[in-house]
Amino acid sequence: MKLSRPAKRQPPETIVALIDVVFFMLVFFMLIGRMDATAPFDVSPPTAQTGADMPSGGTTISLSALGELAIDGAPVADDALNEVMANRLRDTSETLVRINAHRETELRHVLPLISRIEALGAEEVVLVVTPETTPPVQ
Amino acid sequence: MQDPSTLALTRPKPPKALISLVPMIDVLLILLVFFMVTSTYLNLDMIPAVQRADDPAIADPQLTETAGAPMMIRIGSDGIPTVRGEGLAVPELETLFLSRLQDTPALRVLILPSGAADMQSLVSVMDAATRSGVTNLRVVRLEVAE
Repeated sequence: MKLSRPAKRQPPETIVALIDVVFFMLVFFMLIGRMDATAPFDVSPPTAQTGADMPSGGTTISLSALGELAIDGAPVADDALNEVMANRLRDTSETLVRINAHRETELRHVLPLISRIEALGAEEVVLVVTPETTPPVQ
Repeated sequence: MQDPSTLALTRPKPPKALISLVPMIDVLLILLVFFMVTSTYLNLDMIPAVQRADDPAIADPQLTETAGAPMMIRIGSDGIPTVRGEGLAVPELETLFLSRLQDTPALRVLILPSGAADMQSLVSVMDAATRSGVTNLRVVRLEVAE
């Protein structure tokens, strides 16, 4: 009697490699990505070659080209800014404030804002810029 | 009772299943999609605008003496920096900074921008000053008297 060996079943494709790849991508996105609150309007910061690394923590005040304000992504009226910022600076130990102004924002909106923030007790105010590698064209 | 003419074949017990990886893969994929969607890839830097250490009250008086008269730069409403009435492009301004720094290493620079100038023009001037090696730089503004 001839007994034929049953055909070997093809082993199922291993999913370990898939898990490895997914895990690497997960770690990559967790490390690289930032989850800052974005402004409710378009903000393209000015470019600069000599900017330093952005410190973490603190409060971000966004300023649109037309002078609209937002604190950590939430729109705020100009009149209410002082109160909101005073409460934040009083309630938290974070005294860093980032001014994220659009590059076309007129300085009559930006400079008084910096003075107001400083007067409210912010220890450090920084301007957000986009790093630039080539010399600026004027 | 078992009939002796029949042969009882018992199927071997299947091996105990390993812990299923499928739920873990599901969770990983959900996390992956979450981070991909919520992440932003803005590469941003910063320029210091206010630091308590900048307080004039604690400035070094000797340094202030050696710095001499400050160099005043105005920025017009068109965004062009002006030194003593002469409009300069940013590279020219940088050259001017370098030549002034050779004479006065502790050069003080004051920037007086027009309120109608844009943010980029101010940052460009501050950037040029920093590239040239200016360390004592202040931005001043005029306030309307009440």
